[in-house]
Amino acid sequence: MNRGALPEMIHCLTIPANIAGNNGRAGIAMRVLERQQQSGTHLNEDYQLRMFSVPSVEDQQFQGLVESDQGIGQLVAQAMKPDPGVEDGRNNFCRAESSLNYAGCVFGNGSKFEMNYPIPRTASCPPAVAAAMPEVAAVANKGKEAALLEKLGSAAGRESFKKRKSYKTRDLKVVAEEQSREKKAKGYIEEEDSKITEQNSNSKSTTTTTSNNNNKETSADNSKGNSKLSEIPKLDYIHVRARRGQATDSHSLAERVRREKISERMKYLQGLVPGCNKITGKAGTLDEIINYVQSLQRQVEFLSMKLAAINQSLEFDIENFIAKEMFPARISSIPTVGMSSDFINPSHLQFNSLPQGVSCYGLEMGVNLPDVILRRTISAPVSMPEIFLESSNLNQIQHSSWDPELQNLYGMEFHQGKSTSFNTQPFTGFTEAGDVKL
Amino acid sequence: MKARMGYSTSLKQEFLQKWIKGLHIYSNFKKDMSILERKKAIKLSADVAIASTRNSSTRWSRTLTANISKNVTNKILVEQIFSDPEVIKNKASNRLITCSNRIASRKILRRSHITQIRARKMGPYAVKASSIAKKLVKNRTQVLKSLVPGGENMDEISLIKETLDYIVSLRVQVDVMRRLASAAEHSTRSL
Repeated sequence: MNRGALPEMIHCLTIPANIAGNNGRAGIAMRVLERQQQSGTHLNEDYQLRMFSVPSVEDQQFQGLVESDQGIGQLVAQAMKPDPGVEDGRNNFCRAESSLNYAGCVFGNGSKFEMNYPIPRTASCPPAVAAAMPEVAAVANKGKEAALLEKLGSAAGRESFKKRKSYKTRDLKVVAEEQSREKKAKGYIEEEDSKITEQNSNSKSTTTTTSNNNNKETSADNSKGNSKLSEIPKLDYIHVRARRGQATDSHSLAERVRREKISERMKYLQGLVPGCNKITGKAGTLDEIINYVQSLQRQVEFLSMKLAAINQSLEFDIENFIAKEMFPARISSIPTVGMSSDFINPSHLQFNSLPQGVSCYGLEMGVNLPDVILRRTISAPVSMPEIFLESSNLNQIQHSSWDPELQNLYGMEFHQGKSTSFNTQPFTGFTEAGDVKL
Repeated sequence: MKARMGYSTSLKQEFLQKWIKGLHIYSNFKKDMSILERKKAIKLSADVAIASTRNSSTRWSRTLTANISKNVTNKILVEQIFSDPEVIKNKASNRLITCSNRIASRKILRRSHITQIRARKMGPYAVKASSIAKKLVKNRTQVLKSLVPGGENMDEISLIKETLDYIVSLRVQVDVMRRLASAAEHSTRSL
């Protein structure tokens, strides 16, 4: 097959590929093949693409947590788990790859795919379609049509994402596991001849698609431990294996499982609490979590106080609020602006001048200063951190490092705020920089 | 960041709806509140709303609603915000029973722990670093338990799980409240 004939071939094969995209399993098979194909020449640029899509994983996890916090800890742990037997350079690549699943939904924003292929999400994968997949990959492998496959992959990923959403999180979990398993297999096979590799992984992907269906139905609970456990399809008890030199009596095994569970969840908590992922040790992490929860609780107190001060009745103008919410980008910059100009506008001053307000306020800050201006300067950092906490969650700036930064920013902001026309430019720039860094 | 906003919007909207509903109910109860009363009302209704978004599937939300509905007027509010009050009542009563069981078992645990400590003090060896670390972790876990509603009766695994959920909910709460505050502020300024 020469290169000239390839585009037509691919064009023909896009149709089965799209049908395959209908199904979550087949979508994954496709992704595996795609990855294999890319690992040849396009590794560098694809790697970058993947890396760019990584942030969406975190978001995905958030949503997962909102929907059901059950499976998410495991999912995260699996996403974090490095693959053994994969060489160093590839390691990052593979980890980024594991996020492709979720990245699909972000990349899949190109709605033209949706319009072109409105697919009902009901059918289960017919084996013929899965069998069609190797051909696609074989052609693509020779042709190196990375861009086309990338698009297809993203469409399929999106489809599979939706499919998965319609299932429960356990399905998500299983899929993630399957991916990692395949990755491992892939890592070993990679060394061999490319042709053989192709066949091997193709057969593997098809077998895992079938076995995955079994998995999905049976092993909801087994898969909780770690990815190794869930490879055994039908088990209703937890299978634990002691390593060499470890105690094997039931108590210590149970204790080990418990500890693993705790550490898994702690890991996820670390991801959730900003500035927590660089702290080692359980005590430090717990400290940080406590601080974060306390700060959130205080913010709720503070905000309810503020709302009480602003509105004289309990009725709020909802239309106004909804209108504001139409522009979330604008809103996101409002807190910074609002907080800074707060301390100049009369409503806030009124709030400060109220006797009860002052006492509450002072207690909350732990500082009770008579001077209004001083109070302004002190109260600001308390309300400010959340904004920076959010961005520091992305930037992964540590608590200690952003604190002085915050002070500086606030100082600058205060000077500008005095002239009541506040320039939002530096702040939006700051958040944008945070996004770009990811 | 935008993507994350997109995910939790449904939760936020639900929270906002319930919160506004709660505020409405409160304002019908009583007119001309002082600022502190208003603050209390706002906070209570926000708490009930955020707890009801979790649909009493988590322990912290159940405890929160149970604590709030101790008061009679608050109880009405809670029942109105939750669409079906039967569920809460059942859950709350279940919780109380399990609580008493747990307290008893905790007492036994403590007793055994005390004997352990005594045994350790008898020993001649000095305090190890690992034991200090354990103590630190334990102290912090206690603090965390006091922070998360209903955390006193949780074991460590469920505590962490509940904390995760609680943090996410608190974030939603804070975000919505802040937006509403800024919106209200803007409207008052423009008037």
